[in-house]
Amino acid sequence: MTAVAAPVDSATALLSVRNLTCRFGAVVANDGVDFDVAPGEVHAVLGENGAGKSTLMKLIYGVYRPDAGELRVDGVPAAIDSPAAARAAGIGMVFQDLRLIPAFTVTENIALALPGRGVRFQRRALSARIAEQARRYGLPVHPDALVAHLSIGERQRVEILKVLMAGARLLILDEPTSVLAPQEVDALFAAVRALRANGLSIVIITHKLAEARAIADRVTVLRGGRVVLRNADPAAHTDAELVEAMVGRSVPGLAGHRQPPGPQVAPVVRLRGVDVTGDRGAPALRAIDLDLRPGELVGVAGVAGSGQRELCEVILGERRVAAGSVHIRDVAVHGRPRQALAAGAVGVPEDPLTDAVVPGLTVTEHLALADLGAVRRGLGIDWRAVAADAARREERAGLRMAAGDRVVAELSGGNVQRVLLTRALGAPATVVVAAYPSRGLDIATTRRTQELLLEQRDAGAAVLVVSEDLDELLAISDRIAVLHNGELAGIVTPATTDRYAIGQLMLGGDQAAGGSGSAAAGGSDLR
Amino acid sequence: MTDTLVRPAPEQAKIVDNRAKMWPRVVVAVLAAPVIFGAFAAVKGVDPLAMYADMAMSLVDPTQAQTVLVRASVLVLAALAVAVPARAGLLNVGGEGQIVIGAVCAAGVGLVTDQRLPGPVVLTLMVVAAMVGGAAWAGIAAGLRLTVKVNEAITTLLMNFIAIDIMLLLIYDPWKDASGFGQPASRPLEDTARLPLFVPGGTLNTGIVVAGIALVAIWWLMSRTGWGFRLRVVGGNPEAARRAGLRVGTLLVTSMLVGGALAGLAGLVHFAGTEFKLRPGMTANFGYVGFLASWLALHRPLRVALAALLLAAIAMTGDSLQIDANLPAASVNVLMAIVLLVVLGFTRRSNK
Repeated sequence: MTAVAAPVDSATALLSVRNLTCRFGAVVANDGVDFDVAPGEVHAVLGENGAGKSTLMKLIYGVYRPDAGELRVDGVPAAIDSPAAARAAGIGMVFQDLRLIPAFTVTENIALALPGRGVRFQRRALSARIAEQARRYGLPVHPDALVAHLSIGERQRVEILKVLMAGARLLILDEPTSVLAPQEVDALFAAVRALRANGLSIVIITHKLAEARAIADRVTVLRGGRVVLRNADPAAHTDAELVEAMVGRSVPGLAGHRQPPGPQVAPVVRLRGVDVTGDRGAPALRAIDLDLRPGELVGVAGVAGSGQRELCEVILGERRVAAGSVHIRDVAVHGRPRQALAAGAVGVPEDPLTDAVVPGLTVTEHLALADLGAVRRGLGIDWRAVAADAARREERAGLRMAAGDRVVAELSGGNVQRVLLTRALGAPATVVVAAYPSRGLDIATTRRTQELLLEQRDAGAAVLVVSEDLDELLAISDRIAVLHNGELAGIVTPATTDRYAIGQLMLGGDQAAGGSGSAAAGGSDLR
Repeated sequence: MTDTLVRPAPEQAKIVDNRAKMWPRVVVAVLAAPVIFGAFAAVKGVDPLAMYADMAMSLVDPTQAQTVLVRASVLVLAALAVAVPARAGLLNVGGEGQIVIGAVCAAGVGLVTDQRLPGPVVLTLMVVAAMVGGAAWAGIAAGLRLTVKVNEAITTLLMNFIAIDIMLLLIYDPWKDASGFGQPASRPLEDTARLPLFVPGGTLNTGIVVAGIALVAIWWLMSRTGWGFRLRVVGGNPEAARRAGLRVGTLLVTSMLVGGALAGLAGLVHFAGTEFKLRPGMTANFGYVGFLASWLALHRPLRVALAALLLAAIAMTGDSLQIDANLPAASVNVLMAIVLLVVLGFTRRSNK
């Protein structure tokens, strides 16, 4: 993999980065990074988690300071030592976690981001300007709407408008699609193209190849803090080449689909009329009927916060139902994790740090928690048996878990996830409930995790997987249950459904699956 | 652009505490406390070196040394009563009350039986009664926490006052010693039912053996049993414990019961080893000082013994502070507080 010669040099580039290095203790997050953004281009920065993408962007935006190297804006060395300095230089950033105040209107939020001009807040004038800019860039938002009432996609538009109106010529979008439904992604990309047509430069950070191809004029690939592919034309590289650049080696594809078990197979998990009240007292799930059969993998799609968390929790007995019933085999699981565990259910939690990691306990001790009854010796715990069991799980899972004596709370997010995945997937189970199993993992480990889920399915487990990544769900699921606002909007089969039909369901469009014909119908008879 | 001014610390650089790094900090802390207290004494016009020399000398005296060990035995038990629930994340501030209830139960059984049954039998009955009484008293707080969700730190603390009033109620009337010259106190326990002394005429009693056995037993329970491991899980992250299928409620209650039983045992050792009768003020703040000792030792059983010895010695040198250095009696509390704050300040890192 050789770096492609840059079609722009640092004299004509809007932004050029030379030899940028940033260390955190012993970790070199960015190591001699070179990077250019030309005026009026969309530049994708590809890389795995931990490749240094976010660090690079935070260096450019002045959040971090480099240990060595140089930033040039319009060919002139720029001392960007704070986000304010970056904004003054025309660089704006839209963070993954949107930074808007929900109780304020769109206009008020944007006013907060603008440089102060006297004491008078000319709301009407500003609203008019927002409306005008929104039209110009194809970012439809209502200036007087309360941010709390906006969807995630709309909030993102507000955030982009905010950055533009603060005078940005270079817009950095950090993983902008991770929270969006497919239709919203299309709308975002349309807006990005409109911005480019207006002469702005956009940098998109992503780890999804398809997105980089769909929108970017050029790509730069980072791996382990270094640039492995610079200012390249995406059309000149195959997917396999780009993945290899990101991962450092080639990643094999997944085995194809199979037919899910038919309705004649008795389900192992049965949800009937399940209502669940969320943490804030509002209904989180409504009238959910869902069956999981042995030997099938059911994906769960939905916009974040549509009830995915609660669905996983009721199946694992971690949350009580307000109405309806949850059965694993013949056991009624009702807010008692012990029953679900005894019935052979295992879970990968959505939020490991609050729900699974015990401060001070080692990797081995966390694995002991998988089944304490099995490793009892008198009043004590047979730690040799625990270690042997851990070794078996590790061997089977092959996820390169951290050493047994490491304290889990001190591991990085990806390594914590490996521990929890090894614990849950490294032994046979009857029911597997995995929430965002590949969160924080690199591409190769993500692939291995998907294989493990499929292995569990093939060994006869009923597997439920929640993911934000529709491509992942389409690749591994036998059926996909789509949640919208706590209700089951439909159950579709990947083979006969496209992502847009699923997107319609995610956004609550009625009869959304009409286009593909199979979605709603397939859902009702396969329930 | 090569300057490295303020930069947010990334997660990787988080400081990691481990035992190897911990011990030097403890040593520094233990040395820092006397320096601070010495400065405090100097301000009051006392020569710190002379003061410490007097304090040390007062401990060399065999009678004083025995008293330190006697106090330490009670303190070890009182501190373990805090350390066990603390492993499960519970704050037992009720050692004082549980000690009183333990002493009351021991006295109730002892004073009824000591003139009829052989001494060892009476002592055994008293041990059982004291432990059951202390456990039940602590169990009330655990029950309230699980049922109506009242914080156990508040209930255990408030129940201390109830326990003391129960004792006063008993010794002001039904249990009052008729030949006690009108003093509110129970009659003394018969010699046969007292904890045996090591040296006739001395003060060191077999309570120290009781404390030693309890110490080893608790160390074993905490570090070698499944119950101890489960307590650590519950104390570390109750939600993770629940999701791993542990019986969180049972674990919380049992940890509190064991804590209460230990405090009850402390009450027995103090009653049958030193006091022999119930009287107002007999517990001498053992519950609260035990609380300090447990925190000083960060709830590790074996370190608890060291902390208890240290605090018992400091308390004993209080006389020397008053007599030789002419400092007020409260100075000894100041010294204990400085030791605790300095040790905690040097050894505990805030979690995030």
